[in-house]
Amino acid sequence: MAAIESFDNIYLDLSRENGKCRFAESGLGWKPAGGGETFTLDQSNIGGAQWSRAARGYEVKVLQRNSGVIQLDGFQQEDYERLSKIFKNWYSANLESKEHSLRGWNWGKAEFGKAEVSFNVQNRPAFEIPYSEISNTNLAGRNEIAVEFAVGDGAKTNGATPGKGKKASAGRDQLVEMRFYIPGTTTRKEAEGGDA
Amino acid sequence: DKNGVEIKKFKRFESYKRDNQFPPKVRDMGIVIDQKNQTIVLPVMGRPVPFHINTIKNASKSDEGEWSFLRVNFLSPGQGVGRKDDQPFEDASAHFVRSLTFRSTDGDRYAEIANQISNLKRESVKKEQEKKDMED
Repeated sequence: MAAIESFDNIYLDLSRENGKCRFAESGLGWKPAGGGETFTLDQSNIGGAQWSRAARGYEVKVLQRNSGVIQLDGFQQEDYERLSKIFKNWYSANLESKEHSLRGWNWGKAEFGKAEVSFNVQNRPAFEIPYSEISNTNLAGRNEIAVEFAVGDGAKTNGATPGKGKKASAGRDQLVEMRFYIPGTTTRKEAEGGDA
Repeated sequence: DKNGVEIKKFKRFESYKRDNQFPPKVRDMGIVIDQKNQTIVLPVMGRPVPFHINTIKNASKSDEGEWSFLRVNFLSPGQGVGRKDDQPFEDASAHFVRSLTFRSTDGDRYAEIANQISNLKRESVKKEQEKKDMED
């Protein structure tokens, strides 16, 4: 393996602008193509990684040891082998391939992980929500939980800086709220917002 | 069955089998209506998430200042007060996504999407009814 593995046209945390993503033994970095601040993640903070289909090609989700998640998307399907080796050899992490549910169902099970809540349909995630993107949750009715997302001034974010509270407003359609029906629970607080 | 006892039964449905069946437009991370597969694809944290038309109750558009909102409501238990067995569920003890709300400054687009979803829903209900009439 080369000392540096490099990938072009990669988006960091759903940024509008793509950039170059580089992996080295010491960690990973992402630099916007048009110039700007480079984001880096030290190898000591890489706890695991997942590979899955995303809107813009394939996505590598890096699970940080300090419980946040970094999303890198825009990879090609054939990049999997290369990336799998990078994570195994340099970060002692398994690049776990995750297939998402494509059934089109709205029922399943919301499962609360370390950094995100995953809505699973027949044991496959249909989607995940990082806790960092949640601005507020409340009990909207009997068995109904409303989750609000941090969209901020939305249209003006250009996504060069990764981080919290931006993913919901990354696309042309910004997700502002999601409501769940959870049977049999009336007062349990389902999701804690705030910084993860 | 021949005895005609089963009146309302949950019928399974599926949007896609493989991820290469998504319309190419999902790249833009916007809402995509896939007529052919009777599916609305909604962007959630960068992931295209399919919702079959059978899961959808309705969609509506509203405005607030410079923003327009599109709210998609899904079918879930405990909604249809008074007509309790109208809607069958495969698993009423599951968790349900009940609604998703998006915003955009392009209100015309949301009016159009809400309209398309309503039409798709209407056609699907009509088709189901025709099928049922044929079976009777």
